[in-house]
Amino acid sequence: MGSVLKLKKDSSSETTDMALFVHRSDEALDSWNRERIVEALIRETCIDHDTARAISKEVEEIIMASGISTITAPLIRELVDAKLIERGLERARKMHTRLGVPLFDVDQMITHPNKENANVPHGPEATNLTLAESIKKEYALLNVFSREVGEAHMHGTIHLHDLGFIDRPYCSGQSLEYLKKFGLNLPNSLAMAKPAKHPEVLLAHMVKFGAALQSNFAGAIGWDAVNLFFAPYLVGMTDREMKQLAQMLIFEFSQQAVARGGQAIFTDINLYWEVPKHFADVPAIGPGGEYTGKTYAEYEKEAQRFVWQLFEVFKEGDGAGRPFFFPKPLVHITDKFFQTPGHLSFLNHICDVAAEKGNTYFVFDRGDTAKISECCRLSFKLERSDLEDAKEPWRMRYSAIQNVTLNLPRLSFMAKRDDTRLFDKIADIMELAVRAHLEKRSFIERLLSHEESGPLTLLNMDTDGTPYLRLNRSTYLIGMVGLNELTQYHTGEEMHESTEATRFGLKVIAHMKLLADHFSRRFGMRFVLEQTPAESTAHRFARLDLTYYPDEASQVVKGNPAQGEVYYTNSTLYNVSAPMNPIHRVKYEGRFHPLIEAGALTHIWLGEARPSAPSLANFVIKTFNRTKNDQIAFSPEFTCCNDCGKLDRGIHDRCTYCKSRNVDGITRITGYFTRISSWNKGKLGELKDRYRNHEYL
Amino acid sequence: MTLFTKRLCSACQEIKNSFDLEALGIKVEELGPDNPDALAHLAWHELVEDAQKNLPILVLNDSSAITDMLEIKNLLMRLSRKKK
Ligand SMILES: [Zn+2]
Repeated sequence: MGSVLKLKKDSSSETTDMALFVHRSDEALDSWNRERIVEALIRETCIDHDTARAISKEVEEIIMASGISTITAPLIRELVDAKLIERGLERARKMHTRLGVPLFDVDQMITHPNKENANVPHGPEATNLTLAESIKKEYALLNVFSREVGEAHMHGTIHLHDLGFIDRPYCSGQSLEYLKKFGLNLPNSLAMAKPAKHPEVLLAHMVKFGAALQSNFAGAIGWDAVNLFFAPYLVGMTDREMKQLAQMLIFEFSQQAVARGGQAIFTDINLYWEVPKHFADVPAIGPGGEYTGKTYAEYEKEAQRFVWQLFEVFKEGDGAGRPFFFPKPLVHITDKFFQTPGHLSFLNHICDVAAEKGNTYFVFDRGDTAKISECCRLSFKLERSDLEDAKEPWRMRYSAIQNVTLNLPRLSFMAKRDDTRLFDKIADIMELAVRAHLEKRSFIERLLSHEESGPLTLLNMDTDGTPYLRLNRSTYLIGMVGLNELTQYHTGEEMHESTEATRFGLKVIAHMKLLADHFSRRFGMRFVLEQTPAESTAHRFARLDLTYYPDEASQVVKGNPAQGEVYYTNSTLYNVSAPMNPIHRVKYEGRFHPLIEAGALTHIWLGEARPSAPSLANFVIKTFNRTKNDQIAFSPEFTCCNDCGKLDRGIHDRCTYCKSRNVDGITRITGYFTRISSWNKGKLGELKDRYRNHEYL
Repeated sequence: MTLFTKRLCSACQEIKNSFDLEALGIKVEELGPDNPDALAHLAWHELVEDAQKNLPILVLNDSSAITDMLEIKNLLMRLSRKKK
């Protein structure tokens, strides 16, 4: 339908003489014809012809009587909708709704940066992304989800993540083997590339495919055992050449403004010092997609030399010495790691990077556990069928379809400190989250069912005999925010304040875990708990609760309410400001981790401290041996000067070198490093509160 | 002390049949889909993953855990004898 109507009206004329011109979207002019209202009503809402005709006449009369000289198509639609409401035709009105963005909002978006996701820079391409997202968000709430689910989201009882990306799954993890075996052969692409013969070409395929995946998933793109799967291409390379390749890889994934809306591809690379047990005997694929005749165990040396060089590059940082924001290196610490020669010097090397730049994530896979980690905290535990797949690693593709986060503090407000009522509320909200997942799944299934002619052709491509997206093996994430505040309101103590409070928190999460298992059995889907990164959700929930439950929320909300810098503590974390010994924090928070199957993390904020590599290595070993913690990361803080370009440790309001006040801080927001100027108010409040472990590290 | 068990676990049943656990001051936690308390208790002792591999598990008063069936039996026998 056209976007602008030009109305020329002679005040003395009758309706029939009215000369209205419709400015159609194809930039042609059409004369006014109220039959178009009738056609639209019948096409979109299926109401009867007589009613449609009556409405069109009434609307025409209003327009004529108004004396306005210009009228827009959205306004006509609103007038029609008002008539539908008058007749009690609520369902028809909903179907006839126009999605759009107010002029004021568009102006704001074009002029000011988006603070909801710090990974989106500000610019014309980013504005396009934000505008498209805002329409798709509305579409999702009206057309994908039931009214109950949509309203729970809008009231802030739950948070449906990435509504602006409603027509894609959430995130994806895979290995290079798919590209090594099949080359780069994307649907709708004109040129097909055969399997790479050289490491630089393999890297180019990885980057291109990463970008293609980013266009089909809302969140992170993770790569498994990157150093190992590159290894067959690296035989005979010098250290210098390897470092060159490492530099190319890291710079390719760290450069902003190359992809969707100028947003860097949220890339995780999983790395191993040892050859993981499940890949040791797997036949290696080398240049040209051919089997090399060796197993991956035989490429241990090349894999180790490459991962060493990757961390050399992370340690140097970018051209200005700043930490790379992406890709995020996740090093798996396993039993076999400690049996593999050279592990101590490697551990010192990656701890040196952790202390210097903060990049390293330490992922603990104890016993027989094997995992692919990605997206802030999300990890996929490899189950027996997956380990079977490991023999043909190109089959190993994992996806989470959606992430729904629960506002835990609100449940405690509603339960009024009554145990039975609280656990009942938790069951209700879990059921609602499951319903949201069922609704998203059926929408994605509908899009996939269009196959070649549909929007998700990449996810349907079946190069290896199964669709790229293995929907039946996907997971559905249920996250949580503010377990600490729920516990505080319900028991009177925060989790770090007493054993009883922590045990109560564990009971809440255990209850949620059993409910997730129950629903998984009932629907034959994998519902798993996840620690939501909650970059903006922790702030949103706190803000909405201060509105809807002001008396209760003001007792537990964190941050600085006077400045609007309010937040709830993320997921199952302890109060970020509690002055705890970091190894205790890692141990206590780690008690929750085995219940949170899709991944959990403990942050150790370093502030401006620069601990020695051996002290961090010691900390990592202790974490592996004495706790059940899933993943840890050390986060230093930096100030970078926008004038002289120099970098200093710690967050300062002026540059140490040139004294300029034109500076910006850099540290980890949730799962990645970014500039503090892009943070939302809740995260700024949290940053001020973070306990920085100076006494201990 | 706490003995973590689950239904349909023959080793757990054997321990329960052979000893008067209540008299020995041992609390029995039966893990199952309807028992979040038992799961939370297990998580508190950092035994969730151990329990997936192997049950029963006996947690002593100093919070140390015994997962070996034979060791559990021996300890309970010693305790029973002391009691008499
Ligand atoms: Zn400066």
